[in-house]
Amino acid sequence: MSFFKVENISKSFGGVKAVQELSFDVSKGEIFSIIGPNGAGKSTVFNCINGLYAVDQGKISIEQNILTGLKPHQIARKGVARTFQNLELFKYMTTLDNILLGRHTEMKAPLWNILGLNIKRSRAAKEEVQHRLKAEEIIDFLDLEKYRERPVFSLPYGIQKLVELGRALATEPKLLLLDEPAAGLNNEERQDMIFWIKDIRDELGITVIVIEHNMHLVKDISDRVLALNFGKKIIAGKVEDVLQDEEVIHAYLGEAIH
Amino acid sequence: MKLKKQYFEDIKLFKTTAGLVWSIAFILFLFILPFILKTYYLSIINLMALNVIVALGLNILVGNTGQISLGHGGFVAIGAYTAAFLLQLGVPFLVTLLIAGIIAAIIGGLLGIPSLRLEGPYLAIATLGFGLAVMVIIGRMDVFGGRMGMSVPKIDLSWTGLKYDESLYYVFIIITIIMTIFAQNIIKSRIGRAFQAVRDSDIAASVTGINLARYKTLSFAISAFYAGIAGCLWALYLQFVNPGTFSFMMSVLFLATVVLGGLGSVTGSILGGIAMTYLSLQADNIIDFPIIGSIIQSFSETFMNPSGIANIKWVLTGFTLIAVILFEPLGLNGVWLRIKRYWKLWPFY
Amino acid sequence: MIAQLIINSIVAGSIYALMAIAMSIIYKASEIPNFSQGEMAMVSTYITFILLTAAGLPFLLALAGTLAFAFILGFLFEFLFIRRAKEPNLLGFIIITLGFQLVLYGFAGWKWGSDQRTFSLPFSESEVIYRTDSFVLTEHNLASILIAVAIMLGLYLLLQHTKLGLAMKASQQNVKAARFNGIPTNRILGISFGISAMVGAIAGVLVAPISTLDPTMMWDPLLKGFAAAVLGGLKSLPGVVIGGLLLGLIENLFGFYISLEFKSVVAFAIIIVVLFVKPSGLFDKHYVRKV
Repeated sequence: MSFFKVENISKSFGGVKAVQELSFDVSKGEIFSIIGPNGAGKSTVFNCINGLYAVDQGKISIEQNILTGLKPHQIARKGVARTFQNLELFKYMTTLDNILLGRHTEMKAPLWNILGLNIKRSRAAKEEVQHRLKAEEIIDFLDLEKYRERPVFSLPYGIQKLVELGRALATEPKLLLLDEPAAGLNNEERQDMIFWIKDIRDELGITVIVIEHNMHLVKDISDRVLALNFGKKIIAGKVEDVLQDEEVIHAYLGEAIH
Repeated sequence: MKLKKQYFEDIKLFKTTAGLVWSIAFILFLFILPFILKTYYLSIINLMALNVIVALGLNILVGNTGQISLGHGGFVAIGAYTAAFLLQLGVPFLVTLLIAGIIAAIIGGLLGIPSLRLEGPYLAIATLGFGLAVMVIIGRMDVFGGRMGMSVPKIDLSWTGLKYDESLYYVFIIITIIMTIFAQNIIKSRIGRAFQAVRDSDIAASVTGINLARYKTLSFAISAFYAGIAGCLWALYLQFVNPGTFSFMMSVLFLATVVLGGLGSVTGSILGGIAMTYLSLQADNIIDFPIIGSIIQSFSETFMNPSGIANIKWVLTGFTLIAVILFEPLGLNGVWLRIKRYWKLWPFY
Repeated sequence: MIAQLIINSIVAGSIYALMAIAMSIIYKASEIPNFSQGEMAMVSTYITFILLTAAGLPFLLALAGTLAFAFILGFLFEFLFIRRAKEPNLLGFIIITLGFQLVLYGFAGWKWGSDQRTFSLPFSESEVIYRTDSFVLTEHNLASILIAVAIMLGLYLLLQHTKLGLAMKASQQNVKAARFNGIPTNRILGISFGISAMVGAIAGVLVAPISTLDPTMMWDPLLKGFAAAVLGGLKSLPGVVIGGLLLGLIENLFGFYISLEFKSVVAFAIIIVVLFVKPSGLFDKHYVRKV
């Protein structure tokens, strides 16, 4: 019984076949990486999982819940969270607000109750405080205390990536999709990111799918790897097997990693 | 410097005691005004209150949710005409007020539907068309008095023991205060955050679990509710409504009020409402200003047609808008924030 | 009867198309919907009036003077205000154009008063050129259509076959790349505003005889022109022309067959419906942002 299954999905844009009959599955608690040259369709796969694109065919499911056909916000409520390759942050909001936004799905106070937000005993106020505590846990986990009240557009790039990660974690997901989490980071930041991804799996019990170009990172954290090219699966399996595979090497036109 | 001790302090209405004290002082000041000022000045403040209420609602839509509406005059009109109609039937005031707001809100929610697919100038045109359509449709319906309009009866305020104009003033001020508190709370709550998320990145918002359709519609509905409430009060203010009152120009001025005051901030809406009312009413009196006044006076006599001097309010309003965008995009609220920062850092700047 | 309706539609549609073209030129160049275009046209029309009456100039000379004035007005607007915007976003630009519209409106009322004046062109609205049983074609009708067509052709030639047109297209598609190739993009933008103002001025001169000359004369044409541009697809010049003609047609047909009073409302309603199906207008491509 697979935790997360992608079955035979395809997605075309006009004549361009971005993803072709792709299937793979991910076990609970795995760190699963997707690699492939640029244009291989990796981000497209993520967009299909999140519901930003509607697949032309195929099925995606998490813990037997079907995700295909649902709207993005409904998929989010099923426990899927995501970060973006080019950062989709709420630029003008503070770090804290960005992360608190991740708590949105858990907050239920109705509009009429919110009108009385400043009454300490009101349900809305109590909810705010309660979820603020949760957000603070994430800020603590990611060492973002210094940046709490700063609007996100003014933060350094590496910190912005962490804020986006924090926002995703705040939704308390079962599955976390990370799109090139190491892109644009220096060596030290990348090492930190590796630790965090592992911590997310070990401490928070979240299953992680990572798209990554940096093979050292992939080697370091992945349990299993999927290699894509031209929207099709080349091979999926253990890290060493995939990275030694002839076709994968050929797709990257590089040497085998030793 | 005051350090916060509890998370609740972030959502309290007044973050500093200074803020609380000044606000209460201001409210008390407003409350004693009827005993100092003549009725004429009270009615100017009433008009300011009306503009503030509309601005509060429109700001949530435009400043916080990042949408646009060039047709908000239409919602005010719906509120005003509903009020006129119900009051003539003898429906009690508070009930009328709420119904006016709710009907406007429902129609506002409907206008939210195009906003799900349209952006930018396309949405602007859709809302503009809506505003026009409302006025044309209302203007043709005989039940609303057609082109002649309807008169609005006075409400029964004799129980206050004050003159009608003074009691009406208090009604306006109290309702404005309540609407302000609501606006502040909405913005600070999860709903306000969701609105801002829609504004800053709707893709990220939907992926984080925010139902775009629901929140865009809700934003339109809330801003329409505010406009409807203001409309009901507007009917009482004018004591008469006709199709010409709530024009495209008015919708433009509402949008301008929000930008002038400061997008996305409650203080901005208040400052904008006050400033814009002042500009449109008192601009003609610029001739009485010390130096500038006489320059404008002579300019008017040499190059222009002096009898058209009343038009200077358009010129001034227009230049003010341009100046805001060019020099202080955050509006009057931005200017206020600069002043506060300057003040706080003295003498270390 | 239908033939007359079609003639009226084409005339009205041509004027809407002109305003829509003016709007589209600027939108293509800068993604700004220029709400002040109507008032710029109105002021230019007043200038024509003054040149014709007070200065007693012959028509073509007055028109030339007006076009020069309009070009300068448009260019200065871009140079003084649009260019100086600090953090330009759509709402900010809309407010600048609305602000400028108010300034021009107030200026016109101040200087010339708000009473209506009659404005007549060498080709009158009552002189009939061509008459059959089913329709009547006046001089003004014919002139409007011909002038509109001439402008569209002129613009087409400008954009497709001149260096300036090429520069305009380049600046619109990629500002930085255009600059690296030596194109003075700021000046090009100013010129675009100037050309747009000239087109608007011509629309104004065509509107005044059949409507009136007063500060509010261009409100309706502006809104209709904007609506037509949106209908056709703001960035597509042929699209906005078709949008204008369609709008004229819908208005007149609806006005005649169903209801005169609600014709503007219906026009807007139809536009909204179209936008639902094609959110960027009939002929414009809708781009979804890639993440």
